[in-house]
Amino acid sequence: MGLLSDPSLSTHNKLVDSLAKHVRKVCYTFYAAGVVWFFCLALPEFNHGTYLSENALSPGLVYPEIRIDANRLTVQLLEELQRERKDHTATTPYAWITAKFNEFGLETHTHNYTLRYPFGGGKEYHGKNVYGILRAPRIGSTEGIVFSAPYRAPSSVHPDISPSVPLLLAFAEFARRKNYWAKDLIFLVTEQEQLGMQAWLEAYHDGDREVDPTKAYLFPGNLPARAGSLQAALNIEVQDLDIDYIDVKIEGLNGKLPNLDMFNLVQRIMAREGISSGYKQTPRKARRSTFSTFEQNLRHIIAMLTTQSSGVPNGNHGLFHRYRIDALTIAAMKRTTHSNIKTSPNSVAIPLLKAIEGIARSLNNLLERFHQSFFFYVIVHNDRYISIGDYMPALVALVACAFIKAYLTWSTLDTESSGAPEINDSDTSDKLPLPYGSVLIFLTAALLIGYLGNVLPLQQYFQEIPMSAAPLTASLLTTLMLIGFVLPFFVVLPPGGLELLHIGLLLIYGCALIVVGLLNFALGFFVAVISVPLVIALNTNAPDTPESSSVGLRALIRVYTLLLNPLVIIYGIVLIMTFYQFPELGLQQLLLRAAIAAMDAVTFALIDSVIYGNWLYFAVCTVFLPIWIICWTLALARRRDPEEDEDDEDPQVKLKTN
Amino acid sequence: MDLRCYKLLILGGAVRLYFSRTPLAGLISNRVEFATPLNSYKRMQEGVYLLQHGIDPYGGDLVHETPLLLRAMSTIFTSYPEFLPLLYILLDLSTAALLHLMSSNFVQQKLQQQRSELKNYAKDTGELQYTEDDKYDIAELVLIAYLFNPLTVMNCIGLTSTVFSNLILALLLYSLMKRQLLFCLVLLSFETVRSLYPAVLIAPLLLIFARRSICAGVSIFTLFVACCMAMAGANFLVMNSWNFLDGTLGFIFHFRDLQPNIGLFWYFFTEMFEHFRTMFLITFQLNATVLYLVPLAVKLRKEPLLLATVLIALMAVFRAYPSLGDVGFYLSLLPLWRRCWKYMSHGFVVFAFFLITLVMMGALWHLWIYAGSANANFYFGATLAFSTGQIFLITDLLFAHVKHEFCLYNGQKIIINGEEARILLE
Repeated sequence: MGLLSDPSLSTHNKLVDSLAKHVRKVCYTFYAAGVVWFFCLALPEFNHGTYLSENALSPGLVYPEIRIDANRLTVQLLEELQRERKDHTATTPYAWITAKFNEFGLETHTHNYTLRYPFGGGKEYHGKNVYGILRAPRIGSTEGIVFSAPYRAPSSVHPDISPSVPLLLAFAEFARRKNYWAKDLIFLVTEQEQLGMQAWLEAYHDGDREVDPTKAYLFPGNLPARAGSLQAALNIEVQDLDIDYIDVKIEGLNGKLPNLDMFNLVQRIMAREGISSGYKQTPRKARRSTFSTFEQNLRHIIAMLTTQSSGVPNGNHGLFHRYRIDALTIAAMKRTTHSNIKTSPNSVAIPLLKAIEGIARSLNNLLERFHQSFFFYVIVHNDRYISIGDYMPALVALVACAFIKAYLTWSTLDTESSGAPEINDSDTSDKLPLPYGSVLIFLTAALLIGYLGNVLPLQQYFQEIPMSAAPLTASLLTTLMLIGFVLPFFVVLPPGGLELLHIGLLLIYGCALIVVGLLNFALGFFVAVISVPLVIALNTNAPDTPESSSVGLRALIRVYTLLLNPLVIIYGIVLIMTFYQFPELGLQQLLLRAAIAAMDAVTFALIDSVIYGNWLYFAVCTVFLPIWIICWTLALARRRDPEEDEDDEDPQVKLKTN
Repeated sequence: MDLRCYKLLILGGAVRLYFSRTPLAGLISNRVEFATPLNSYKRMQEGVYLLQHGIDPYGGDLVHETPLLLRAMSTIFTSYPEFLPLLYILLDLSTAALLHLMSSNFVQQKLQQQRSELKNYAKDTGELQYTEDDKYDIAELVLIAYLFNPLTVMNCIGLTSTVFSNLILALLLYSLMKRQLLFCLVLLSFETVRSLYPAVLIAPLLLIFARRSICAGVSIFTLFVACCMAMAGANFLVMNSWNFLDGTLGFIFHFRDLQPNIGLFWYFFTEMFEHFRTMFLITFQLNATVLYLVPLAVKLRKEPLLLATVLIALMAVFRAYPSLGDVGFYLSLLPLWRRCWKYMSHGFVVFAFFLITLVMMGALWHLWIYAGSANANFYFGATLAFSTGQIFLITDLLFAHVKHEFCLYNGQKIIINGEEARILLE
């Protein structure tokens, strides 16, 4: 083990010294390698075909039993519901749904919840979910599966998905007549999009918990009946009974995904029923593209990572993941293409009902929770995936840059400080003492600024200011950001401090990226791709040393640092999105509208973090903002006193003569 | 101890007191990295309760603390539980103070030894020798390293019984420096009956007190065994049954609780076929105790304290239920070897290793236990890397010591045939 038992007496390692001279080149090589690896993932050689690992899932694949009468029931229920919707334009027809559940012989309950909106002087919203439990004849309610359908009132801004409820009811009616259920089936109709689902889940899992009314925002209440530990959940969003294709949504809260087996199961069953289905499926016309396989795969990967990176679930299924329940949404889209091919109204709902039956029977047969297949994957194509072992190297290569640079910078620092007296052989007290204390205080200050961004907007005295939520949050954050911006102009670190701060930054940055990347690969990877070049380019050498960067490069680094400010990035993303959504706007209007939208986005992120437990806001405030402040300090590289620069320079010249 | 040290102690106490009042304390006392089946606060509480109600605490599989300590803590656990954090903080501060006294004593002895050997040293080795200032500097560094190491701080606020182990070890090292044989033996036997592995520390004891006389060595060892038996007897008097031996030492040796921790045992023993268990148990326990004992004792016979440091460190890596509190303790002993630091080339790598793996442990534990998406392999990977980092550190320290010794007598710059000399290990 030459690594451990280095026989050389001196601590100077020649390899390290020569590498240290080319630290940037080494790091950029790693960066390029990481990015290239990521692009390679789209090649068919780098990804694998999907397969079902869990044998217990096969029964649902065999022989569907649902018959034509279920279709009749669905159509009839849909007509009844449409009549109900005329009377309830802004609310859910609870009475009708409850009556139907009762009619089919389910154990029916309602669930009330209250939201205390964090902003706007404690306004309260109330909501109500309806659910029915089909008790399994074979087990004592120890395990359950959830089938949920969100209900949208006619006044909702989102697309109408009312056929989901009749479909759910028809399936419930079919399921009640079967005796093979080994898990309780819960049929759940939620309202107010994700809020209702979140409240129901919270009530299901911690309904008996005391809620502190001053700190909590969502009061989920308690449930009158439960069905044991939930094993899996299927959320249905059906726009029309006559479906064109099915989009399977899997991305959950904080970028979590359901087990790959569940996705595969849905794909298999949909294929059996002859329904066109897939991940990020598009209408047939748009699907016929001229892209090569590579380009298509790459678009697919990037689209998936983009959805994941915000951490916001793209359907009600995403909230289940937080409770360790594998869930996904099947979103059935209305037929828009080939609208002349009408399916016969006598069997219009049959394929979808058969698919739901198959999924239910497979899930019913599960002996354990999903554990066989992958939880960390990227879907390349409907039947191809990349596992964590294959995509992680891309991120590791990017993060490695930070640590390599930290090590090499540290080892040159070492030679600067301890090498000098050795050559002078005068007195040992001449060493450059590294100001650990002041650097630590600076780091703490930066962290504190970030942490304040996390807690301040929710403080009582700020909420009493007569301002609406979005400008308030945005102005608080901007203030904190400005404090961070001017911090390096007032606080100048003692000599050696910048170098030490640089190393500290590299270590913290690396660790932060590792953790973020483990919890949400997409976010970690995107942040790494845009920020690693800056971190590599940062240079703390004094301006007149030979190793320092030129003035132009220095200015470039500063501009890039400013561009990478979290708030600027958020604004940039919103601006681009606004541009694509409203291409007709003039520049000034566009900028203004994007600014308003960005303020809203920040506020929504904050609300997401307090109600749903999305940690994106927390991560940006508490981790990325402090890191940016340190980056900015290093990019400015202000030194206390010019004499020190000469002192700094000496050892480096000597280092060169070594 | 001067004023500055008192200030540091007060500051250290304040930091601990502050954090013990934040929600962090509850979190830490439930983290597997700090609280193992041996040292967790909850289990101690359980043991005290059972003992007071006349139920044998070792009948179940929860309590693994010695009866003596349970009895000693029973009053404060039941009557004044609100003062418990304060007690633990005071104990931790006394550990720090003892380490401080021990290190200034150690430097004092080093200086004496240096004076007698000065003529043998090579010329340009001034920076390799201990100086008068070191008496204060090193002692203060040790103090700071113990007081403000996040690992020891969190260990203290998590109220683990590693606080007691650390105190006893610090007391042992202190009395070792003060040459109090009997006191050493009592402490060592107490700690051995509690947690088995400190038995190996008899080696530095023998090196210091027996001074190469076999006769004295044998008698000290006999005395130690007698002390251990007396300690076990004292425990027996508390319980009136020998059950506690299986509950403490037997539990450690047989590794009955497979709860994950930062060590290397749990993963192997969950994966292993049952009929190989005995063999691997013996192998692993040998590795944790006597495997390195003889070679290290021979190599470091002139440096008993370094031997003790290295043994404590190896114990923290290889023991059955290690916790980060143990790691924090031996890390704070490193400043004693400040004069060897020049030759420690992996310091930064080890630091980065520790940082990354500790951060990863948190994330991977979350993914495994709460999110359910990762699994045991991920977490074990992080702990394995952490252990590797520790081994790096220990090896580095040993090599640095060897090089330091060599250079002290032969000079720092040795040129042979115009090239820099290299040490060959043969």
